[in-house]
Amino acid sequence: MIVLYDSSFEGFLTLVYKVYYEKITPTKILQTYPNTLILEEITEIETDQIHAQKVLNALQKKFTKKNFESIFHTFMCDSKEFELDLLQFIILGFKDQKQLLNINHSCVFNIQNLLKELFRHNHKMTGFVRFVELEDTTLYAKVDSKFNVVYFLGKHFLKRFNNQTYIIHDIQRKIAFIKNDDFIGVQEVATFEEPKTSADEQKFSKLWRTFFESVAIESRKNLKLQKQLVPLLYRTYMTEFL
Amino acid sequence: MQILSDSAKYDVSCSSSGAENNYKTGELGATQSSGICHSFTADGRCVSLLKVLLTNFCIYDCAYCINKVSNDIPRAAFAPRELADITMNFYKRNYIEGLFLSSGIIESEDHTMHLILRTLKILRHEYKFNGYIHVKLIPGSDAKLIEQVVSLASRVSSNIELPSDKSLKLLAPNKTKEKVLQPLKLARDISMEKNNKPIGMSTQLIVGATPENDMDILNLSAALYDKALLKRVYYSAYIPVNDDKNLPILSTSKPPLLREHRLYQADWLLRFYDFKADEILNEQNPNLDEELDPKMVWALNNMQYFPMEINKASFEELIRIPGIGVKSAYKIINARRFKKLRFDDLKYLKISIKKAKYFIVCNGKYQKEIPLYRENIKLDFLKPTKKNEPSLFDIDYSVITGQL
Repeated sequence: MIVLYDSSFEGFLTLVYKVYYEKITPTKILQTYPNTLILEEITEIETDQIHAQKVLNALQKKFTKKNFESIFHTFMCDSKEFELDLLQFIILGFKDQKQLLNINHSCVFNIQNLLKELFRHNHKMTGFVRFVELEDTTLYAKVDSKFNVVYFLGKHFLKRFNNQTYIIHDIQRKIAFIKNDDFIGVQEVATFEEPKTSADEQKFSKLWRTFFESVAIESRKNLKLQKQLVPLLYRTYMTEFL
Repeated sequence: MQILSDSAKYDVSCSSSGAENNYKTGELGATQSSGICHSFTADGRCVSLLKVLLTNFCIYDCAYCINKVSNDIPRAAFAPRELADITMNFYKRNYIEGLFLSSGIIESEDHTMHLILRTLKILRHEYKFNGYIHVKLIPGSDAKLIEQVVSLASRVSSNIELPSDKSLKLLAPNKTKEKVLQPLKLARDISMEKNNKPIGMSTQLIVGATPENDMDILNLSAALYDKALLKRVYYSAYIPVNDDKNLPILSTSKPPLLREHRLYQADWLLRFYDFKADEILNEQNPNLDEELDPKMVWALNNMQYFPMEINKASFEELIRIPGIGVKSAYKIINARRFKKLRFDDLKYLKISIKKAKYFIVCNGKYQKEIPLYRENIKLDFLKPTKKNEPSLFDIDYSVITGQL
């Protein structure tokens, strides 16, 4: 059975509810209607807040803290098809928490790898995010990333820029991590205008580019290796590659 | 900026890892134990720190160095405050993880150290910067100055550059090994007294400029690690920047990068795989094999330990198998709790068995093609992989109509 849900976390929890109480067995879980012709029947799941809450409570009760977090974190990998594995993971977890350590189950192995990919991606982003200073000295960063890591990034920079105000803006997902005197957290951003940068901004970004070019050693040049280490998908907003 | 970062680029060290996580509310900057790479240059090296010289004026005349006094190059210097400002602004834009400060010797050793110390004080005390700072200690400067720098920096280092006294005398007449190691020893003693834990220190050795073989280099590194003097030794393939009668002329235009790579592999075996230097190299084979990696060579010379049953071997034994690293070993140990592992299971766990397959037994089974003899394995491993020649049956054709 092919199942369709609205890509929200509550929607997915409702799906889990239906698996248990209406005995549906999804073979494929989609977020949007497929363009190709499919002869199988497609069931649409309507998000139900009460059912979702019920499942959430059960998860909280039954799952260890670490496994519970794994479910959340998996959901941040929104550019991957994780739904079937996550469903299996939850079913397995309800049966026996210990089995969630057994990487011989394909769902556990896949979820573990996915989380590794998520945090590897996040770790790279912590290095590759570039801020610009705005007129009011707020630091502003644009982000274009394959996973939803704005929250993790915001938490990371909370340690480093403890006395600064900053915004990390995910352009594609239309969300931003905002840290100022009254608010720390993720918010939705409906529309935005290109902000004005401070007077020094040009000077320092130019200085950085000069530095970046002059530290490369000509006789060891290896552009293929560079592309391996900073893949093009990270370079969208990086000052030195603009 | 261009001059001073250009002159500093030959320093290999750029890691910001190994520092403890620390941050203070209301202040700027933090270090992270894993280290973060902020960019990668066109030569594929990580940019983590703002790596600059405070000045490239120098009173020394080391043959291999681009900044030696007899070279006619443009010279420049940063004022301490200027450099501190640049560091802060780069850090706020997340360009860098911290500062890597080195310097040529201007006027005297002590004067140079003074300037470095002033930069550090502005950053740490005035700007309240908690990020990573790596300082190259100036050999021969005053012990009190070194003590102050050590208390402010996250990591300090001093480059040995050449693996023996003889070579130093030949190429760097103003330096001796004693003189280079003196600040490192001093720094270790100071930090040991304070918090029982030595400050992270590193050094750099140039490979291929002098006739030392790999064994000399590796023995030196092993000795330095053993004495808890250093956390890390960097190797730098020799790149000619000056003409000097005492320097070798490279036959090829590329620096000896493969030798550098093999040395790093051997270094990793020392630090993370619990190998001893004499297991990797000895009098009969004083140089690392360029065709095979050091662990493979060790395994081929010690066939009595193999084949190893991966369902029984301990962690220490597992990481001695060529092609199986620390991560794969953990995966095996985790997975075998739940079932006996077979060859297919290893593939499924995405563990590369390209090298390991010659040395392991999975649940009593051994791969059958290659007999367990040194020469057979070596031949099979090094033989070029066959390219698939297209045959008539590989050509794409439509399943339904059979059309090509």
